[in-house]
Amino acid sequence: MKLLLTFVQTYRQIYQHATLFSAVVVGLLFGLFLEAYMHDFNLVYITLFFVFSLAFSAGPIGIVNIGYIKTQYLKSGRLFANTDGHLSLELYNPRASSLWALSLHHKEESVDIPHIKSDSSNIVQLPITPTKRGEFIHDECYLQSLYPISTARLTIPIGVSYTAIIYPQPKGKSLESFIHQEETHYGEEREFDGLQEYDGSQKLSHIHWASVAKGDMSVKVFTKEREIPKLFFYFDKIAGDTEEKLSQLSLWVLECEKRNLPFSIKISDKIFNSPKEEIDVILSFLAKY
Amino acid sequence: MLSLASWQNIRFTPLGFLDISYVIVLIPLMLILKVPMLIFSFVVIGMIIAHKGKPAHNLLIFFVFIIGIFALFLSLYGAFSFKGLSRLKLFLELLVYILIIVVSMQRLTREINFYLLISPMLFLALSLFFFHGMVMLVYVIFEIYILLWIVLSHRMATDLVDSFRATMVMFLYSLPWVIMLFIFFPRISFEHPSYGFRGEVVRHTGHDGTMFLDNTSLLVPSDRIVMEIGFDKEVPSIGTLYFRGSTLYIDKKDHWEAFPSYIKREDRVFGLLRGERTNYKVTLYPTNKKWIYLLDMPSLIVKDSRLDADLISTVDKSIDEPIHYEASSSLSPIFPDKIDKNMRRLSTAYNKKSNPKAYKEAFRIKSLDIDDEQKAKEIIKLFQAQSLTYSLKIGKLDMNNTTDSFLFDQKYGYCVHFASSFVTIARMVGIPSRIVTGYKSDKSNSLNNYLPIRERDAHAWSELYIDGAWRRYEATSTASNIEAQTPQEKNTENEQEEKSKLTESINLYLMYVKYKVETWILYYSNIRQLQLIKYAKANPEFILYLVLSLLSVLISSLIVISYFRRPRCSHPAICAIRPLITSLKKSNYIRQKDETLHQYLYRYAKEYPDNIAIIEVDRYYQQIFYGEDSSKESMKLLQQSVSESVKKLS
Repeated sequence: MKLLLTFVQTYRQIYQHATLFSAVVVGLLFGLFLEAYMHDFNLVYITLFFVFSLAFSAGPIGIVNIGYIKTQYLKSGRLFANTDGHLSLELYNPRASSLWALSLHHKEESVDIPHIKSDSSNIVQLPITPTKRGEFIHDECYLQSLYPISTARLTIPIGVSYTAIIYPQPKGKSLESFIHQEETHYGEEREFDGLQEYDGSQKLSHIHWASVAKGDMSVKVFTKEREIPKLFFYFDKIAGDTEEKLSQLSLWVLECEKRNLPFSIKISDKIFNSPKEEIDVILSFLAKY
Repeated sequence: MLSLASWQNIRFTPLGFLDISYVIVLIPLMLILKVPMLIFSFVVIGMIIAHKGKPAHNLLIFFVFIIGIFALFLSLYGAFSFKGLSRLKLFLELLVYILIIVVSMQRLTREINFYLLISPMLFLALSLFFFHGMVMLVYVIFEIYILLWIVLSHRMATDLVDSFRATMVMFLYSLPWVIMLFIFFPRISFEHPSYGFRGEVVRHTGHDGTMFLDNTSLLVPSDRIVMEIGFDKEVPSIGTLYFRGSTLYIDKKDHWEAFPSYIKREDRVFGLLRGERTNYKVTLYPTNKKWIYLLDMPSLIVKDSRLDADLISTVDKSIDEPIHYEASSSLSPIFPDKIDKNMRRLSTAYNKKSNPKAYKEAFRIKSLDIDDEQKAKEIIKLFQAQSLTYSLKIGKLDMNNTTDSFLFDQKYGYCVHFASSFVTIARMVGIPSRIVTGYKSDKSNSLNNYLPIRERDAHAWSELYIDGAWRRYEATSTASNIEAQTPQEKNTENEQEEKSKLTESINLYLMYVKYKVETWILYYSNIRQLQLIKYAKANPEFILYLVLSLLSVLISSLIVISYFRRPRCSHPAICAIRPLITSLKKSNYIRQKDETLHQYLYRYAKEYPDNIAIIEVDRYYQQIFYGEDSSKESMKLLQQSVSESVKKLS
């Protein structure tokens, strides 16, 4: 009884959509019935009953296959506007039998989940590309199954949503170019460190003319005499509109994090200092600006 | 040679799955394909193998279309005409051929489209028009299972074992429904539609008011049941049982007819009351004729029917749905009757310009100074002297002299030729005579008190009017040889040769199973449904038995389903500890996320130190699973400790 009640509850959560194959089954049933009716062939009746019963039992089997999954969002990585990212979801199959042929959908995106073993979880990464920075709620995500015989497309909403902050799209001039522009603030060459291939961004005075004579275009690299503890990014000094400025800051913040460089940002009246303030806090501020 | 483990890991492509399904559904249809179409099919298979992995060129596909049409033309050459298309079987054959050509062309492109996907089901539905026997019943269930397996394998994208298990589960879920529907689904059908396609032209010669003698008059030697007889007591053991259909008097050279309708004769108000009397119930399946068949000689008039002067029983309307009637007969080959001059004239009429050889022999017998009964015996001797052969395959008879042609020239024929010739000569001798058509069977075809009458039991015999009574004469028994024509007859011959008691009992058992399957599955009908309802009304305990039987089917299905639903074990040790894990779960002792089995079992052992066996389980499990100890002893110890732990848990 308890099982039946659970099944009914699950059934109510599931949406069933007809597929082309459901039309095929209906056509087949009609054709077989006509054949059986016109000629009184018990073999046709038996085939008819099998087709009907299989189509009939496909419903509950499909519902059981999709209905009992427990889904939760896992903490995903950083998400940036207009940049491909993904959300992680954990799908847990609490049943004693395996689940088959599922797929996770959200708008245009979908991920196939061919198999979830009994009493175990699968972690699925759903690709998303947010279009705007700021607060973001991921809902309307649903599971779909054509199991077992594709006669019905069963869908069940995930039921939980995921809230995240979409950071501004990291875009603009590279941190390298910023550093070259701000070199005097950054430090002075002290000791020759070696040669590096010229890529157009280095100073002309650093060109290693001896290598040019040999046919290679190299530049001299010096270790810095001193390292200024922080880079300063001034929101107002960055070229472009607000979105471009935020994108630029986002890019520099990420590059600084990558290169483990301390930095400060002045934006409006607020100053952020790394590593005192966490990168995510800074990016969140930029996202909500 | 691939091992079983390799087989189970085979993953087919969607095209591979489709190919298998086509092979499965086309096997029965191959039996009806004409040779040109068969050759075409094999050529296409060869091309598919040759083009493995590559789509065929458009020119080649066009070539396949051309040879397909050519094969179709050759296959249907002679049978093909627009008029002929109204014949159902021919039309279906044409459909099968067209479908094979179209599917072959599409398959060569290697593109799976919607029509290629649904065509296996179309082939399956079409094959059901051609085969209705027990073998096909088994094969259809096999086909359905395999097609389901293929669909699930494709959908699940897993190995063959997993999809087989899922197929078994689904199949067994539907089986109780199939059984329920089979028993209770109302059978509303008709065999001879008055619109649409005509059925195959089957001339049921002899028992429907006419009896043809030409070689197109071959009776249908099918096993289809015409009627079922349930005797109140045992099946009479008097030998052959004759069921009267119609009486034929008028010789039309190539066929015999009943009296024309303008000759009025008084109907009977009672039957014959002589000899051993027997009561029986008949279920007569649709014949689209007015005759109902009664055991010779009828002694009661069947309700809502009329019994004519020749003891022929008819109903007012053609029988287009199964009818059920009770009857009573006196088992006698003699039927006392009085015939008037007109009747005597009509029943001694023969064509004087035909059959000169027969007339010469008849004249000889007529000249003998003996009574009519002795003369009849002389006719039998004449037949016996001709060394006639009973055969369903006959040569071309001279239709102007059928008796001469059969008796002295061809010497091959079946009941209609024997009866016709016998009556012709009897008339030449001057004995009033007629042909009776119907069905013939005997006790050996029965089981307990049940006697099924089949199409192949159709028969014709003679009746001669001697000493104030019509007397049955079985002219067919004068045949010196019997040419086995049907598998049944061949089987009978073999059985006689073997005579081993064991073989006989096995044969009897198989026949009984076949009979039961045919009666309760292949020929299950609304009559059977009505019988079940009637029986259930009379025996209420039957309902209980039926419900219990259905429940046992359901429970058996569920047991098998639960077996196949169990997750597969990747290692025997995992299988062995599964009962313990299930018991722990039932006791709400859930394994935590990222917790190893070892940690899980130890956690339990710490909380419940009295269950020491669980520690043993863990030890043996680790030893077998990680220590790669594959000895039987360790496995046995693991199973024992699991069993002890489960006991303590419960």
